[in-house]
Amino acid sequence: MEDVNAYIESGILELYVLGQLSALEIAEVEAMAAKHPEVKAELSAIEIALETYALENSITTSEELELRILSQFDDEKSTITANPATPEQKIIPLYKGRDEGKIKVLRFSLVACIALLVVSLVALYSVYNRLNLAQDQIATLSRDKQQFATTVSKLQFEKSGMENRIAMVDNAEWTTVKLAGVPKSPEAKMLVFWNKTNKNVLINYAAIELPKTDKAHEYQLWALVDGKPVSLGVFTEVDNAKEAVVQMAAIQKAQAFAVTIEPTGGSINPTMEKMVVMGAI
Amino acid sequence: MSLSKKISLTEDELVSALKNRETIAIKALYDMYSGALLGVISRIIVHTEVAEDLLQETFIKIWNSGASYDSSKGRLFTWMMNIARNISIDKLRSKDFKNANKNQDIENNVDFIDEQKKVSFNADTLGLKELVTALKSDYQDVLNMVYFKGYTHVEAAEELNLPLGTVKTRVRMAILELRKKFN
Repeated sequence: MEDVNAYIESGILELYVLGQLSALEIAEVEAMAAKHPEVKAELSAIEIALETYALENSITTSEELELRILSQFDDEKSTITANPATPEQKIIPLYKGRDEGKIKVLRFSLVACIALLVVSLVALYSVYNRLNLAQDQIATLSRDKQQFATTVSKLQFEKSGMENRIAMVDNAEWTTVKLAGVPKSPEAKMLVFWNKTNKNVLINYAAIELPKTDKAHEYQLWALVDGKPVSLGVFTEVDNAKEAVVQMAAIQKAQAFAVTIEPTGGSINPTMEKMVVMGAI
Repeated sequence: MSLSKKISLTEDELVSALKNRETIAIKALYDMYSGALLGVISRIIVHTEVAEDLLQETFIKIWNSGASYDSSKGRLFTWMMNIARNISIDKLRSKDFKNANKNQDIENNVDFIDEQKKVSFNADTLGLKELVTALKSDYQDVLNMVYFKGYTHVEAAEELNLPLGTVKTRVRMAILELRKKFN
């Protein structure tokens, strides 16, 4: 019994009512109260005293507050979760309008970009076609120009040959030797010009009509000196010639000139069966 | 509901109505105890608006956790009082409340300080002052700190620079004096 009185007088019951105890101490007080009616009676007395004390110190609530609080319970049987005093925190963007505006601008930009891309692709395709056309035209023009240039150079070549030939005819120093086709090539003919003074020999493409050779062969000019052939050099077909007039090797005396077709580079002795033209002086 | 008609029920009736989730329980509890609960809340949180919000929160919690109340462990009011006090102390120690206090507008400061220093007379607390002066001041200080101001008895001992045992004794003595007075 003394233990119970000491327990009551320790002040723990007051702290229990004031909600000041740990869970362990609370369990202890509740066990004591269940066991000892005096403890239970003491607790009630403390509670009533503090309750009265609190009621004495009431603060009158306003009618609006009463209405506000009680209106929440009017038709509420269920658990009230939302507390209007501290409403659920909603995140409201600070610059809502700005974001929407941004999105609108971005959307518009995207559409504009796509439109621009399509236009660009069409333009690119058209430019590509035109470029191809222009390249074709350039190729045609350059081909034409090349043909023209070839024609011009051929004409110049022929002209220089013709001029030289005219000069030869007018000049008394030069002897013109006519070489006529042999029976194997009756159409062939050419002229050889021999200077009486310095014994130089010239040929002129403007006055050469010989059968065609292949790539591995060219013409060789021979002088017949006392029955022996002497090479005066080789010359190519007119298509490969660089000059219209070609100076050959000089010869002091000769009775005739002849041309044979020899392998490229010429031969030491003429291949008689390949002789195409011949002419005596 | 009619505001003029005050409802009063016995403790047993109140408890059973609350456990059955009858709205009459909350109306009766409000009529009987809202003033006392607001008295406690207001002494911990001096801002009237915040204190009123906390009273609302207290009643919602009473309503929602009525099922967990055990009458064998104490009176209904003691249970409600502890709910109100805990809600108020939580608020007092919460970050947003502390920050809100730091950011007081300068115009509001005069009223705020007045309220804090209790320079103005509050008609509702006049009764307390009279009663309190009747108590022996050493006992009354400790009880009021723990019961009304939201101190724990350990904090009160530190604040008053008293041994814990002395604080316990003074709380008991103050309550004994109250019991004598009310009887």
